[in-house]
Amino acid sequence: MTLALIGVNYKTAPIELRERIAISREELPETTRALAAVPGVSECMIVSTCNRVELLAAVDSPEADLTGFLHRYFGLDPALLAPHIYEQRDRDAVRHLFRVAASLDSMVVGEPQILGQVKEAFAVARASGTVAGQLEHLLQSAFAAAKKVRSETEIGASSVSIASVAVDLARKIFGSLQGRTVFLVGAGKMSELAARHLVQQGAGAILVSNRTQARAQRMAEEFRGRVIPFEQLHQAASEADIVISSTGAPHPIFRPEDGQAFLHRRRNRPMFFIDIAVPRDVDPAMGKLEGIFVYDIDDLQQVAAAHMAERSREAGDAEALIAAEVERFQQRQRTVNAAPAIVALQRQAEEIRQTELRRVQSRLGALSAEQAAAVEALTRGLVNKFLHPPMQALKQAAREGDSARMEVLCDAWSVPAGAEREAEQTLASSEPGNGETEKAEAAHVGESSVETRP
Amino acid sequence: MYLLWLRVAAILYAAASVAVFPAVLYSLSRWRKICVHLGGLALFFHFVSVVEMLVQAHRWMPVGVREIESLLGLAVAGLFFLVWWLYDAISLGIFALPVTFFLVLVPALGPDRYTFPSEGVRVSWLVAHIAALLISYVALAFSMLASVLYLIQEQRIKSKLKPGQDSWWAPFEWLPPLDTLERIAHATLEFGFPCMTVGLVIGSVLAQETPLGASYFLDPKIIAAFISWVVYVLLLLVRRSAGLRGRRAAYLSGAVFLVMIAVWAANLFSHVHRYGAQ
Repeated sequence: MTLALIGVNYKTAPIELRERIAISREELPETTRALAAVPGVSECMIVSTCNRVELLAAVDSPEADLTGFLHRYFGLDPALLAPHIYEQRDRDAVRHLFRVAASLDSMVVGEPQILGQVKEAFAVARASGTVAGQLEHLLQSAFAAAKKVRSETEIGASSVSIASVAVDLARKIFGSLQGRTVFLVGAGKMSELAARHLVQQGAGAILVSNRTQARAQRMAEEFRGRVIPFEQLHQAASEADIVISSTGAPHPIFRPEDGQAFLHRRRNRPMFFIDIAVPRDVDPAMGKLEGIFVYDIDDLQQVAAAHMAERSREAGDAEALIAAEVERFQQRQRTVNAAPAIVALQRQAEEIRQTELRRVQSRLGALSAEQAAAVEALTRGLVNKFLHPPMQALKQAAREGDSARMEVLCDAWSVPAGAEREAEQTLASSEPGNGETEKAEAAHVGESSVETRP
Repeated sequence: MYLLWLRVAAILYAAASVAVFPAVLYSLSRWRKICVHLGGLALFFHFVSVVEMLVQAHRWMPVGVREIESLLGLAVAGLFFLVWWLYDAISLGIFALPVTFFLVLVPALGPDRYTFPSEGVRVSWLVAHIAALLISYVALAFSMLASVLYLIQEQRIKSKLKPGQDSWWAPFEWLPPLDTLERIAHATLEFGFPCMTVGLVIGSVLAQETPLGASYFLDPKIIAAFISWVVYVLLLLVRRSAGLRGRRAAYLSGAVFLVMIAVWAANLFSHVHRYGAQ
């Protein structure tokens, strides 16, 4: 079984191409099932976001044509797609998936949304019945790795957009933003974005003022706010805890004397001015007043840039973590592959034990319940002790990927040829009642499989 | 037995004082939990020790400097946990927990043998008088601390510090938001005022019962105590009427705190109001 991953992302393909193969949430189950129907594909899932479309599949034949599926399904010319597509296999595919889930491959490194999007894609695939043992194991490991990166590095700790930096600053001043009044002076895109962030964090009343009344009205409706006529700007400003200013005025519209008046009317409660206008709307001298905080676009951009640099440094540590997690996953995979041989070995030993017990039963005569239990325990204990060294050796050989040693061990212990493949299937479809399989799994992959749960 | 509980509390306060630094400075949630649990346990044992001490006080156990320190420590720790519970501001623990530990350390070393100069003060109301005043002093200290931290946080935000930038303000990343600090400063101030009033009223009634009677109130220490109460009232009035906050509020809190320290120190020189002599 091979892992294959193909896709396009914001680094390899322009938006014009990405939007042609973007898959909506509604279409995702159907597209995933269509991918599962491709010959040679045994398990699959699709991650589709605004920045990437990726197909991940466990394939059991090299003929499984994932690229062809993309061409056919979206009706694209192969020559158009070919230069933009990337393809990864096995270890590289695992590493790529882990990096995507940990947000190391994102446009804004460390952004938290991608993990949720991968989880959602996985949930869709599971609901569509296109994932089973192998992808399940892979995805759970990817989620655990992403969680580890988040908790052990500071990659997502700081804000990197101007709007989120403004929200962080507002929090430093006001603590909770619940019920705070936000005043939008000028109805630009940037102030709208900042206001949206503040509202998401719980900001209460929104006041909007703009020279063009219609635009103010539109934005006020969007935020369920109140329109303030531009000429009443200074009277209304003292109501606001946070003022986001982005007018095209050639001179400052908020001066220190206005600030004094605001503070007087507000009984010295602090105010935060976010000035994203160029030229600036807020006289920098106003920031010298006690209780008034003024940040202009440059201040916000510098903080965001510094945070971005911090994230890049953290990304180095995150890459090392991912490399270690990929190695662990590979090792665990190899150990899991030893389980079939171990199951076969245990089954064979158990058969021998049962046969021998039956053979000597006539000579032992009638045994009491205690005696029968003692014989049972004795034979079981002997078998387990005899099996321990070869089982450890098999596990070790699997961990080291030493197939020759595995083969020798299987031969030495007369484990039937093909047991590996047979038991692999048993593992994939193991039922809760199957004691032997469970025991083998517990003995050989137990510790690590617990850690893979997110 | 109360000494044993006090010693346990001292050890736990010491451990909590160590845990609070990584919890606050590096925002480590595990350490935060450890700190809160250790501090909470310490407060419990401290409370048990104080209750036992008071039970003994009813049996003519004198109240001396060490016992007063222990009570003061309990007030500091109690108020810190109240502030933490109300405002989720564990940062103040950086100051409150080590201060509590040092306040508890000396009383935990062993009991002192004190005798009171007057039989008249051996009443349980004395404990209420002392406890109420100690709580008011601690509340005022918390208010001043929160006001000072407010100033630091205000300057930090105004300095437009970038991450990684070398600055005086860089080490104060852990400070709570301005609004939280302001609310702590205001709430602790308001909380301390009724305590101080009750403490002074009880003290006045007890003083009337002494052989000195009304002349007790002519002692400079007693006069200073009433002056500090008047200054406290003024501080509250100014804060309330002018919405005073920030720098001026911090200066005013500082002034009242200094008056309070002076009143406390006057215990050492007063002829009528002083700790028991050995």
